[in-house]
Amino acid sequence: MNAALALFERDIKGVLRSRSQLYSSIMTPLLLLVFLGNGVSSGLEPSRLSAGNFTAYLVAGAVVMTAVFSSTFSSASYYRDRDSGLLRMLLSSPHSARTILLGKSLAGVVIGVVQALVVLLVAAPFVDFEWQYGIAAGIALALAAVLLLNVLLAGIAQALASRIQTMQGFHLLMNLALFPLLFFSGAFFPVDGLPAWLEVLARVNPLSYAVDALQLAAYADGTDGYFGLAVDFAVLTVVAIAVYAAGLARMPRLTWSGK
Amino acid sequence: MGEPADEAQGIVHRYGERRALDGFSLDVPEGGVFGLLGPNGSGKSTFITMAAAAEQTAEGQLRIFGQPPSAGLRGRIATVFQENAQDPLMTVGETLRLAGRLFGMSGAAAAERGRRLLGTFGLAERERDSIGALSGGMRRRLEMTRALLHDPELLLLDEPTTGVDPEERRALWDALLNAERGRRRTVLLATNDLAEADGVCEQVAFIKDGRVVATGTPAELKAGLRHESVRVGWPGVTPAQLAEVAAWPGAGEVTVADDVVHIATDDAAALVPRLFATAPGAIRSVTIDRSTLEDAYFQHVSRRGAVPEAAR
Repeated sequence: MNAALALFERDIKGVLRSRSQLYSSIMTPLLLLVFLGNGVSSGLEPSRLSAGNFTAYLVAGAVVMTAVFSSTFSSASYYRDRDSGLLRMLLSSPHSARTILLGKSLAGVVIGVVQALVVLLVAAPFVDFEWQYGIAAGIALALAAVLLLNVLLAGIAQALASRIQTMQGFHLLMNLALFPLLFFSGAFFPVDGLPAWLEVLARVNPLSYAVDALQLAAYADGTDGYFGLAVDFAVLTVVAIAVYAAGLARMPRLTWSGK
Repeated sequence: MGEPADEAQGIVHRYGERRALDGFSLDVPEGGVFGLLGPNGSGKSTFITMAAAAEQTAEGQLRIFGQPPSAGLRGRIATVFQENAQDPLMTVGETLRLAGRLFGMSGAAAAERGRRLLGTFGLAERERDSIGALSGGMRRRLEMTRALLHDPELLLLDEPTTGVDPEERRALWDALLNAERGRRRTVLLATNDLAEADGVCEQVAFIKDGRVVATGTPAELKAGLRHESVRVGWPGVTPAQLAEVAAWPGAGEVTVADDVVHIATDDAAALVPRLFATAPGAIRSVTIDRSTLEDAYFQHVSRRGAVPEAAR
């Protein structure tokens, strides 16, 4: 455990030191809120949302997007370690490759959770949130949803990184896999009322349940039209644990060259 | 000599269809510097990987400290790789603390021993520096520092001085041998640098095509050689001329590569005038040396063209 903790600390320090990565991961979703949220609210006046409240609606999507970006960047550290040669040193230690990946992915999860919560808390004072369960409970619910979401994304990233040779290929595949999930999750527009086939896609999309939980925690003033917190957390918990376990199980055949 | 630190019996290891190790057998005695010498692709690094308990043997048997390879054994071993294993964004101190903790040390113990070793390797002032700010030679010395941090019983060095200039190379070996005083650990050195091996190894093994073809102390390996080595710059030398030279009394093995003929002999003073008489005007240069480990290496391992016995 000491080894996993040492790697966890080292990866956290690496992200804190990489200021451009840190700031851009948080600023991009906030800029999306400012420009897309205000633009759509003013220019299109979405009729199916509370009047002028599209920016508030979009916050949950921005939080999920932050987690997606963060998990992609964090998992890329596997490639950085391979290319810098550090991976060989890690693998020459008395610990299993799984312990090493566990330490690294835990760091990715924590970084993703912190960044996503920062986006939520920075945006909250400027938008019309209902906090229907109270602010403290709302934040706690958001934290739980974001934690499960990041565990799920770490599992997906790990499973992909275990099979993709290059960092460029990994980024392309992550985008290819996660962007459609993001679009059909209710992050940018409500999924009810969509054509049936899109609604089916949204219902089998695990990101939809994270967006739903975040909407319920902060934005919504009722539960009609939502999956509900019980369903959200049940689905997120099962899928996150299953995908994370599958990601660890699909270990790359790590060699000293990492290739 | 103590008990073997590594015992390999008939190891076969494949990368796809290629046999990197092909019936590799070797006992590495405990304590002292043992050299693995062989051309690129001969299997040195593959055996280092095996000796580090990083890969399992598909065929044959390997014992490290008398036990089959396991992850737990890696705590008693350290490896310096051909290329640096460092994150350029980390500092020197962070790198050592991470390595120490991975090998079961507390952060404080790793920092304390790291400082002492950094002093030995001439890096005492660089603890807070980013690794990206170090020179290539300093980074190699940091690799040694990192490897010795948890006081391994077996130190594996895979071409540790590749790309290091001669001054840095000497500094690195001086520091390593200085750090080794009073601690007789086993060092297994894979290298192409025969002069380096001759200088630091107590025993060596010549590796060719995934097998050990000769083993012994440098003195033992040189003992079977002719006393002198004559290198002759001889462009356009013909097989018939080589065969003629090989047949002269006192001439040993004759090989040729890149227009340079290498002749092992016991009597260079008698051989050289005959060369000039045999090929007047064709010989560009003649160098006479005492036989070295390099000559022994070429005798056992050389891929250069040799004059076949039948031609003599």
